[in-house]
Amino acid sequence: MGSFLVVYAFDELWSLANIVRYGLLSLQHRGSQSCVVCVPGEKVVCTQGESIDEVSKEAFKNVALVVIGNGSDDTPVETDNTKSIAVASERPWSGSDGVLQALAKALSGNGDIVEAFVSAVSKASSNAMPSLAVLTKRGEVIVWRSSSSLSPLVLGSYGFDMAIAASESVAIDILGGEVKRFLAPGEGMYIARHLLKRFTVNANSERSGLCTFEFLYLARHDAIIDGVSVYLFRKLLGKELAKHIESEVDVVVGVPETALPYAIGFAEAIEKPFEMAFVATGGRKRSMLYSDPFEKLVAIHLKMNPIRSALEGKRIALIDDSMVTGSTIKTVSQILRFRVGVPEIHLFIASPPLVAQCPFNVMKLDMKSLLAANLSESLAKDYLEVDSLHWLSKEDVNGVVSRFGLKLCGRCFGVVFFGCGK
Amino acid sequence: MKVLLVGSGGREHALAKLIRRSLLEPRLFIAMDYRNPGLEREAVETGGRGFVVHTTSPAEVAKVAEEISPDLIVIGPEEPQFHGVTDELRERGYIVFGASSKCAEVEKSKVFARSLMWKYKIYGRLYFKAFTGIEEARRFIEFAGDVVIKPARQAGGKGVKVLKDTQAYLSRDRAEVKKTYVEKLFSEMERYRDIDYKILVEQRVEGVEYTSMIITDGNAVIPLPLVQDHPHAYEFDIGPETGGMGSIQGPGWVLPFITREEFAKTVEVVSEVLKALQNEVREAYVGAFAGQMMLTGIWGPTVIEFYSRFGDPEISNLVPIVTNDFLELLDKAARRKLASAKLDIDENRVTIVKALAPAGYPDDKKLASGHPVCIDESRVRELGCEVLYASVELQGDGLMYSKGSRIFEIVCSGNSYEEAYEKAEKAVTYVKSLDGWPLFYRGDIGSKELLMDRFRTAERARTIYWSRMRRGLLGKVLVWIPGEGISDNPLIGFLR
Repeated sequence: MGSFLVVYAFDELWSLANIVRYGLLSLQHRGSQSCVVCVPGEKVVCTQGESIDEVSKEAFKNVALVVIGNGSDDTPVETDNTKSIAVASERPWSGSDGVLQALAKALSGNGDIVEAFVSAVSKASSNAMPSLAVLTKRGEVIVWRSSSSLSPLVLGSYGFDMAIAASESVAIDILGGEVKRFLAPGEGMYIARHLLKRFTVNANSERSGLCTFEFLYLARHDAIIDGVSVYLFRKLLGKELAKHIESEVDVVVGVPETALPYAIGFAEAIEKPFEMAFVATGGRKRSMLYSDPFEKLVAIHLKMNPIRSALEGKRIALIDDSMVTGSTIKTVSQILRFRVGVPEIHLFIASPPLVAQCPFNVMKLDMKSLLAANLSESLAKDYLEVDSLHWLSKEDVNGVVSRFGLKLCGRCFGVVFFGCGK
Repeated sequence: MKVLLVGSGGREHALAKLIRRSLLEPRLFIAMDYRNPGLEREAVETGGRGFVVHTTSPAEVAKVAEEISPDLIVIGPEEPQFHGVTDELRERGYIVFGASSKCAEVEKSKVFARSLMWKYKIYGRLYFKAFTGIEEARRFIEFAGDVVIKPARQAGGKGVKVLKDTQAYLSRDRAEVKKTYVEKLFSEMERYRDIDYKILVEQRVEGVEYTSMIITDGNAVIPLPLVQDHPHAYEFDIGPETGGMGSIQGPGWVLPFITREEFAKTVEVVSEVLKALQNEVREAYVGAFAGQMMLTGIWGPTVIEFYSRFGDPEISNLVPIVTNDFLELLDKAARRKLASAKLDIDENRVTIVKALAPAGYPDDKKLASGHPVCIDESRVRELGCEVLYASVELQGDGLMYSKGSRIFEIVCSGNSYEEAYEKAEKAVTYVKSLDGWPLFYRGDIGSKELLMDRFRTAERARTIYWSRMRRGLLGKVLVWIPGEGISDNPLIGFLR
């Protein structure tokens, strides 16, 4: 799935190239192998590329719409024949052309493009609609958070000079801005040189819920999603997980780097030391986001040089946020056993077993390769070489999600929603 | 009692409403730049009338005064003060409420105001540097860091560039904008011949803004309740700086996110500046005076700038809550007998003001001008709200046309923010554009979400300034450049 970054400088003095570059760097943990930068002018010009440094150079004006994702599938941007408008979606979606044509028609006939957008989107209403971002050649922008609201969309500002919209709050932080609003499901913003307008389409809260993986894995620890701190959420799940402990351990270790706050929460709850266990080489790589199994293994292996002295001979509580294929855990347990030499590994997963495919294709899960859906528990323990294996139950997650007043989509875990929303 | 009110906008309409309730049975005459239908109506209903004049022309306003022989003249805006209208009228023997041109220097020249604070070592002062020539400014800005660039003269509350620069990785981009902006601002400031300094570079602070207004006769000081303005054009504090898109007040004298101690400190600061100012210009300050304040981590109550008049829209918040004779207060101030006066307000009410503006405001006045608009005033009244007419002109065809700025201010009140907010949101729907030109207002002003945000920001500022206070660091910003030593200049940036 792609992420959005829209920067709108009200003063034409700004050239946004470097600002877009740093904004994208702050979003690259969400997937960054493809990005598209669109700028207004006589025509809307969109440039696609693989390197953030290169593509961001194209954002030389005071308005830029950018989509970044794992591959070109994740960054679909369509423009009309006359290149007067570009519509970007978070993921491929059959209705995007309809929206594009409706907007192009409104624009050429001097109609109200917000009205055209609202009407086109409400006609195209479907469960799996992605969030959308629009740029016109006149430099108007629309950002809209899908009513299914699987992913977040945040609005921020920089002084009197800029409006910034992004899929994750960290982009606004990193650009020196202030987070101003977490767009509600179905809520959109029209931003132009002399007007900023809020509108709502298809706001149907019954259907909407954030993807659980947004909190569990995707967002950075320093992100705030719909008003909730990702770090605190993860720490609390870690504490919840500690209730499942059955045998004595010496140290608590998190699988880097997403699982660190979970491990900190877990260690706090059982009053055992949390240890740094692994050091990464070559920067942060999101192993789970790789679809190629070999690339994925390379990413995992590069993250895992162990700090032997902290772990040798210790009984270890190993914490991870989720387990999909188990390949990361397998790698970690092999390192802990053979390179470090630990007598016991007790594995704690801060989410329930994954048992179903994502109906929205937000998480690209393949049923055949889901460990929990294919291996019995004792077989899984033997394969992973762990002494015990514990998961959070759906009820555990539901409790934590409710405490934060959230409502999360849990279909891949076998429930429709966790929590109930505010 | 005959009262001549000088000024054309929403602030004057609020004053007109406050004045006409008086037991002194005022007949209101208005000297305005254009036919503001709201002001005109207030005048006619009290047996007075409106005069269309150049309100910045001392001779023209004096001529109106000669014609009606008012018992009191109230000067609304700052520009007539800057241009000597107050001085001329006082010289001719009229009783005038309004700062003299010398006193109004505190608003007109931001350099004068800042220098005054430093000279008298007044609490809440910020570091600054001012420039008369572009070359010097250009050289300085090259190495400036986390700063605000402002026109050195009051320019309708616009032209301020806040360039947060705490991240070295974006410093070069911001430096580029600073350089270009300094050039642009210099050329824009060329048209003001009445001031030496053209631009001001000031330490950037963050926090919660609020306005503290007072009425004074030069000795006695009567504080007005605190009001919070909303300078960003668009919702959620996004977008360009305006003269103010609305304001909130109450309940009582302080705002919910400002403490009584902070209010007291603020009034103390404003009063000290008033004293220092009178000492410098050797004249009594008679009129309204206000501090545009911010609660910051650096000082707590911190001065952003001063107004030599009532804030607009801030004064509008007083319309529903003043319970005693406001005209008497203005009159006593003007006659320098304020010591015996006081201001009573309804301390249980909360007020919310929302301004509406045509698209184009504030950056493209031409685009925002000439659009016919209307308001269903009786429906607004049914809600218990008031309409103030601002930048709208009644033309020969009987229609009202926008003049490029905020067109109306809607003033609503209630026993809680929820109640006042609900009314205000309903009331703004009765304003319509007749040619389809978009109008905008801020739906977030007075909302629970925005109030919560103010609480959080104020609490953060409080945590910092209390800790700085304990360590004796209020107002100080130390910079160490190895090899050069420690200095006290927060205007320097990362780029060397």
